[in-house]
Amino acid sequence: MAMSGLTDLMTMAKPNEALKARIIALLARGPDMCLQCGRCTSGCTAFRLLELKPHEIVCSAKMGFVEELVSSKSIWDCALCLKCAERCPQEVSPYELILSLRNEAISKGLEIPEALRDILMTLMETGLAFKPKKAVDREGKAYGREELGLPALRTGLSEQALMALMELLGGA
Amino acid sequence: MGTGEAKIGVFICHCGLNIAGVIDVKRLREMASKLPGVVVCVDYPYMCSEPGQELIRKSVAEHGLNRVVVAACSPSMHEETFRQVLRSAGLNPFLLEVANIREHCSWPHAHEPDKATEKALKLIEMAVAKARLLRPIELKEVPVARRALVIGGGIAGITAALDLAEAGVEVYLVEKEPSIGGHMAQLDKTFPTLDCSACILTPRMVQAARHPNIRLLTYSEVEEVARAGGGFEVVIRKKARHVCEDRCTGCGMCVEKCPVEVPSEFDQGLGPRKAIYIPFPQAVPKVAVIDDEHCIRCGLCERVCEAGAIDFGQEDEFLKVEVGAIIVATGFEVMDPWSLPELGFLESPNIITHLQLERLLSSSGPTGGKIIRPSDGKEPRSVVIVTCVGSRDERANPYCCRIGCSVAVKQAVLLKERLGPEARIYVCFMDLRTYGRGLEEFYAKARSEGITFIRGSPSDIEVMPDGTIKVTVFDQSTGKLLEISADLVVLIAGLRPPGDLKDLAAKLKIPLGPDGFLLEAHPKLRPSEAASRGIFMAGACQGPKDIVETVSHASAAAAKAASMLLKGYVLSEPFIAVVDEASCRGCGRCEEVCEFGAIEVVEEKTGRLVARVNEALCMGCGACSVRCPTGAIKVRNFGPEQILAQVAVASR
Repeated sequence: MAMSGLTDLMTMAKPNEALKARIIALLARGPDMCLQCGRCTSGCTAFRLLELKPHEIVCSAKMGFVEELVSSKSIWDCALCLKCAERCPQEVSPYELILSLRNEAISKGLEIPEALRDILMTLMETGLAFKPKKAVDREGKAYGREELGLPALRTGLSEQALMALMELLGGA
Repeated sequence: MGTGEAKIGVFICHCGLNIAGVIDVKRLREMASKLPGVVVCVDYPYMCSEPGQELIRKSVAEHGLNRVVVAACSPSMHEETFRQVLRSAGLNPFLLEVANIREHCSWPHAHEPDKATEKALKLIEMAVAKARLLRPIELKEVPVARRALVIGGGIAGITAALDLAEAGVEVYLVEKEPSIGGHMAQLDKTFPTLDCSACILTPRMVQAARHPNIRLLTYSEVEEVARAGGGFEVVIRKKARHVCEDRCTGCGMCVEKCPVEVPSEFDQGLGPRKAIYIPFPQAVPKVAVIDDEHCIRCGLCERVCEAGAIDFGQEDEFLKVEVGAIIVATGFEVMDPWSLPELGFLESPNIITHLQLERLLSSSGPTGGKIIRPSDGKEPRSVVIVTCVGSRDERANPYCCRIGCSVAVKQAVLLKERLGPEARIYVCFMDLRTYGRGLEEFYAKARSEGITFIRGSPSDIEVMPDGTIKVTVFDQSTGKLLEISADLVVLIAGLRPPGDLKDLAAKLKIPLGPDGFLLEAHPKLRPSEAASRGIFMAGACQGPKDIVETVSHASAAAAKAASMLLKGYVLSEPFIAVVDEASCRGCGRCEEVCEFGAIEVVEEKTGRLVARVNEALCMGCGACSVRCPTGAIKVRNFGPEQILAQVAVASR
């Protein structure tokens, strides 16, 4: 009898139904409801720059090919603009699925892209997503905030603020 | 009326901007009003509207018109409208000529308005030239029998027959199989409500059989059809069942004892039946039939039949009936997918059609509703359903089968229900078009139940040495090439016109469309009528339909037929051939070419031969007129003089 029906002939991967179930457990509408219209990818902000195709992620997840998604770089390309979730005619949220896949990647201890790690570190250290940079004019001369007559930015989070941030992010 | 000097009125329609947006209507009116015989020429934005019609009526009275030319859209659109206007204005309705300056002029010549205006004038001139020679035609009322013939006893035929019977029309319901019920009787459940098909059909079957106005003729076929009077004379062949219908009680003893087993047609070859058989438990009439091809005449059935119903000596009977209307309801055939060898239909018993799966799903089917793979009777764990097999395929049926997507969704849902949540059900589709009421929701339900829908059509289906089936399909949504290992593959095979529809259409002298299904009189406005009078069509014989559409179409056909029959008469055709007996020399060439058997050369008392036209049979094709060496036979108002008058103008 044919028990595991599906094989991806390019990678010889088989669906991982248990992992799929875990990943979609928290989603309001799972990828199974996807109509494969491609509207999420048509409007995807990250598609133009990074070739992120949310519909491929949703359809792969639907068929149970989730392991490759968890370890894929592309799930980190999402800009979290939520446009896909807004526009999906079936109220499937590719964005939520991507977050869920990221969570799985983190809990497996997989590496996350350096750029994202930098942002995270900056956030933890400064409370800002990006480190303050100097303004540069057309001659290439850089100006600090002081030179421009701007007040200094408060950097470095207080212990209390850091705790609040961790709590918001669902951490310890 | 209609003689003497022609006083012609020309009425030019703007049809909004359809005509006036291209043609210079004002110039056209000025030029047309100078044509010989034209006493008044007016234009109006919409001549077919009530004020437009009133304008014609007023002009007829004011100017004493005796011919009317309307320059507007195609006569197939509004000729009848304007004939009514003439009638209400006190003119014979056939003193009208329509110049088609829309479809024949403003639409195709939209890019060259000047030439279009010239052409429109020419078209009007031609119409005026013909109008001058038009003669009034009086129509006769031809009585018509308040009886109808319904060919085909599926859900379409049953519905049409019951509707007619309820309206007081006597119906002959002819079915070629031993029982009525058709394909619907073979189905397990219907989409999207999952009603049991037999449960909703069987009461209708019984109702049809018991209705005092319906005469059920099963195991019968239409042999000959001829037009007679306002209706038809039909010969029906009642094939010998070798079982006396009045005596058989349907007890089934004979079936039990019969030693000969053959594959059951009703069960699509998945189970056996005997040489004497009742096709299915709910058959109507519940009467056995002997399959002559396989019966070995052992006589066991005869010995056990307590009712003494077996009659080996029975022969085909021929019934001659007179009816006023015929409704064709012969349904469809499911195509055999063997013509697409890459799908492996002949390679494995575990590759089946959707109709075969219906028999596996049905509780009255060969497995009692248990889903098995036919090769070893084991329950399949992985099933692939493939849509559009032979449909939307230039190598088989270029058209869509219309029911396949919904059948696929329904069967996937039923399989999931029967085989349990662990079973894997895959649907490979080209497009999934579940377009009816409640069907989108049904498709959503299927997706929410974990059925895997794959956007891609498999190119190869291969049978592995261990009997499992390998389906290779490219999933367009992920760009993955997938291999599905399946125990059972269900092909949603396309629908085709029944093999004998062509013959029947030839007997009825009605045309088929390029797809081989019956051609309706108008795709939008007359979908359940044939172009020739008194013939109607119900259900899938006119093109694939689901049950809802079939029932609506059948009721529409019945209503159309009833409105004709209940009047009790039909009007004779206006444009038929008439013979000028003075110039006819009885050569019989017209009789030779007449396809409808409408002309007969008879001998008068004086011994002179002369052609006579049977008005009821003549279809006005004009073949006789072309053949006649003396110009004695002509189609009314389409004679050589009228046509040549137009040609003279056109070629000037």
